[in-house]
Amino acid sequence: MIGFLAHRLGDMLAILIVVAVMVFVVVRVLPGDPATILVGDNASPEAAALMRETLGLDEPIPVQFLIWARNLLRGDLGQSIFLGEPVLTVLAQRAEPTLFLTLMAVMISVLIALPAGIVAAVFRNTVIDRAVLAFAMMIASVPSFWLGLIFISTFAVAHPWFPVSGYGAPGASLAERLHCLVLPALVLGLIKSALITRFTRSSMLDVLHEDFILTCRAKGLGEWAVIMKHALRSAFIPILTIIGLGLALLLGGAIVTETVFALPGVGNLVVSAVLRRDYPVIQGALLVIASVYVIVNVAIDLLYALVDPRVRLR
Amino acid sequence: MSMRTKFLRLALLGSVVASLGLDPALAQEPKRGGTITVATVGEPTTLDPMVTTADLVGAITMHVFETLYTFGDGLTIVPLLAESDPIITDGGKTYTIKLRQGVKFHDGSVMTSADVLASFDRWKAVADRGKTAWSYLTSVTAPDAHTIELKLKEPYAPLLALLSLNNNAAAIMPASNQANPMTKYIGTGPYTIKERRPDQFVVLARFPDYTPRSDKPTGYGGRRTAYIDEIRYVPVPDPNTRVEGSLSGQYDYADSLPVAAMPRLQGQKEVTPVLQKNFGYPTISINNKGGLLTNMTLRQALFAAVNNEDMLKAAFGSTEFYTLSGSLYPEGFRFHTKEGIEAFNQNNPAKARELAAKAGYKGEPIRFLTTTQFDHFYKIALVATETWRKAGFNIDLQVVDWGTLLTRRNNPALYEMSTVGAPFLAEPSLTFTAGSERPGWWSSEAKDRVVGAFNAESDPAKRAAMFGQVQKLIYAEVPYIKVGDYNVLRAKSNRLQGVIPSSWSYFWNAWVDK
Amino acid sequence: MTTAILSGLRVGFAHAMRRSTLTIGLTVLAVFVLAAIFAPLLTPGPPDVLDIGRRMRPPSSDHWMGTDEFGRDVYTRLVYGGRLSLGIGAMTAFFSAIFGVTLGLLAGFFPVLDRTLSRVIDAMMAFPDILLAIALVAALNPSVANVVLALTVVYTPRIARTVRASTLVIRELPYVEAARALGVSSGRILRVHVLRNLVSPIIVQGTFVFAYAMLAEASLSFLGVGASPERPSWGTMISAARSYYRQADWLALYPGLAIMIAVLSLQMVGDALRDVLDPKLRRSV
Repeated sequence: MIGFLAHRLGDMLAILIVVAVMVFVVVRVLPGDPATILVGDNASPEAAALMRETLGLDEPIPVQFLIWARNLLRGDLGQSIFLGEPVLTVLAQRAEPTLFLTLMAVMISVLIALPAGIVAAVFRNTVIDRAVLAFAMMIASVPSFWLGLIFISTFAVAHPWFPVSGYGAPGASLAERLHCLVLPALVLGLIKSALITRFTRSSMLDVLHEDFILTCRAKGLGEWAVIMKHALRSAFIPILTIIGLGLALLLGGAIVTETVFALPGVGNLVVSAVLRRDYPVIQGALLVIASVYVIVNVAIDLLYALVDPRVRLR
Repeated sequence: MSMRTKFLRLALLGSVVASLGLDPALAQEPKRGGTITVATVGEPTTLDPMVTTADLVGAITMHVFETLYTFGDGLTIVPLLAESDPIITDGGKTYTIKLRQGVKFHDGSVMTSADVLASFDRWKAVADRGKTAWSYLTSVTAPDAHTIELKLKEPYAPLLALLSLNNNAAAIMPASNQANPMTKYIGTGPYTIKERRPDQFVVLARFPDYTPRSDKPTGYGGRRTAYIDEIRYVPVPDPNTRVEGSLSGQYDYADSLPVAAMPRLQGQKEVTPVLQKNFGYPTISINNKGGLLTNMTLRQALFAAVNNEDMLKAAFGSTEFYTLSGSLYPEGFRFHTKEGIEAFNQNNPAKARELAAKAGYKGEPIRFLTTTQFDHFYKIALVATETWRKAGFNIDLQVVDWGTLLTRRNNPALYEMSTVGAPFLAEPSLTFTAGSERPGWWSSEAKDRVVGAFNAESDPAKRAAMFGQVQKLIYAEVPYIKVGDYNVLRAKSNRLQGVIPSSWSYFWNAWVDK
Repeated sequence: MTTAILSGLRVGFAHAMRRSTLTIGLTVLAVFVLAAIFAPLLTPGPPDVLDIGRRMRPPSSDHWMGTDEFGRDVYTRLVYGGRLSLGIGAMTAFFSAIFGVTLGLLAGFFPVLDRTLSRVIDAMMAFPDILLAIALVAALNPSVANVVLALTVVYTPRIARTVRASTLVIRELPYVEAARALGVSSGRILRVHVLRNLVSPIIVQGTFVFAYAMLAEASLSFLGVGASPERPSWGTMISAARSYYRQADWLALYPGLAIMIAVLSLQMVGDALRDVLDPKLRRSV
């Protein structure tokens, strides 16, 4: 087990190094530079050059990379050019809406997908099954921003039940903030539910054919008891995997939805950082987002290894 | 109070007020207290008023930092931290400025000439406008604790306007707090920066020890009173969100709304549309330094083809929101003149082809930069491109993000034209369009002569008359193409009172009616 | 007895459904593709004719889907928009398949390369797809080629991973081992045995990448880092319509429906193809 652990952690480290290099390279080939944006549209090229010097952007790229990497090892992601605060602080400020949005969205998607997937599996190849699958497929075909716009015009403008956008006024209570997240979480949750429904269905189908289920049935257990108690339990780990990965992806991937609903989350931060070329923030955010994904991945692997000792041999 | 009862009351008061010569907006008693939320077009790139020319930064920070002079009604220049108008001697080469006494900074210290000298040094180091000013200044000294003296190489009329602007501002800060990048925001303004949470809000709080002027308010000048406890600026980049938020009462003031929202804002109980006339003028900036358009005849050819009305209509909808005007300053401004504007809005493709042939144009691609981040820029560019293509020009329309546009615009090898906006500044020489050191780089023998004479003249009346020649030259040499004037639509909640419409919205002297 | 009949019915039902899914999906897709190709024949004029005097007219007999904020015909732009939207999706699927297969085969067949390649693939997959695409398009400047390039970078690792996994399985198959024992060269084994077995999963994956790339292209355009706002694409149309959804909802409605129907038909085709081409996978996702 320890050998397996060390191996996976070594892997993880290697991947993270590749991620860090990729992040730096991608970000630094962006045209445009933060100095020009900072000095404004009425300023001269000389003013921009001076600002570049102040920001340390006049150093050669490899030197800048070494400085960044050195600080990274100390756990310092640098200072945002526009926001005047450390990148970690900026990220921490944006974490809340993204975290809550992700959790709510995953909750909604599980609430929809688990029952739908189980029902589809039990009634496989019937009209019910086909209807569930067709619905899942349709939902997966809708552009999320379009669904967001439709939700806004229906549930925020025509029927003003939810705020149009934003994350409440300064000092808004937790309830008010969560209220702001309902519509975006519905959009994300619905779209995410498509994949989880299909996955739940197929995992359940796999399990329903296994011997121990047949045994249970043979023992005379009621069909629903078999399904809910035994089959679901066995199918749960693969389902959990897909939910976990969904969670990890959403943490950084709710960008479009955050933009539509003007939520001050991590995704929105990255988009605005790209548009104003806030290099340290783009680098830091991308790195953190990718790391979360990699770590969740490894955690899932380890979970498997704990549950199923055979995995360790691979 | 609803709009209607307020109007009734104003109508009743009208005659009395008029006879007393009072401003009707002040007829109602201002109240202290309350908090307002202001929706801005985006996140300010910094809160340091010196380093950027961004309007948004200036509009927020002018509540916090003050300058020696500022703009009064009709864009006159009035003293703010200065006691009075400067005493100009030595044929316009020496300015002696008396400072107000007892003005307190947010850190409790009292402003003296030492703070002004230090701020001027910082202004020179970090601000573009500071560099411009210092290219004329030979020395800035302090004869005593409440006087400063500026000496110039040659007479330079735009100097006071430079000292008055709120962006790239010659803001006065304590000599002890001059760090760059700025870490503490200490000014003399009626508000202090209480909290900034990037992309969420900037909260300003009343500065209790503010030292106001005693003269009556005029434009951004005169007596400033902070009635409102807290001003919360929230960045709302999506224009439709600003509209919806205003309608739902989320925002007390929302900037720069899509004109299409006008009908929805009218006739509402809680909110009033505010139309700021002649807010600015979008232009098609031309690169005069590198590339194809260094050829003046080709610039004239492009200019002959444009259809300003189509551009304005596509960008701003109806005439309620734009004015088809070739004058570089709208009516009512000191520099308004009709000199040379017969060349405006020619819409003459045949002439364009003829001039293009004369210029030796053979269909080489003309690179035109624009961005969708500012909706009207993109619309103007798209309409212009179509018009030019029909007239036989090979336009390479490059739609990039604003950041890329600004960077590319600084390199004369990379483009021929770009879309930019411009406010009506009190001083024509301060706009990017006139400077030869800014992108656009207009420079010609005639320009040196005409604009040089204009800048050296210090008598405002004579300068206004001389501006006709400048405008005429601009229409002859086409260093850039003015599209037209536009109005900006804003929304104000009815509980917010006493806001005077102006280019940069300010909230001192305004109050909340509870 | 009844159970047997029931399960028989189920199989028959499933079979019929699968065939009709494929037929419907392919038909709809064909209509969209043909419309995009023959756009000039189906529309009254070019898609970029401005008519500032006729801005935002609601749908009428002159303009079936109304006009947009520049007075352009929405129907015409929708038909032409398919070229960019479908084109970018198809090109992304094509290039991702080529690079994904190459990388996947190399990683799966040569253990020496596997360690490095797998790290890179894993690292690339750690970025949420849209995020990586945004950064890449912003870096490379918006253009059709660069959007395809960015989306190819995003989807290549996904295909590579599938191919690598399948290759690992296939190369252990008895007849492949036998071929190797007989001294058949690696290149030939790859071409003849491995690649042939991979054709069906690649086609299926490619169809899904096609669908996802269309959605991603729309999102990029929506965020303002799409191919070009000047050339019509469904994503650009929705993005531009955003400012007017109160007074002109048709502007966002039709392109939104177009994306949805096109992506749906692709998913139907992909699903059905998987069932038909790879019966082993029939029950999984």
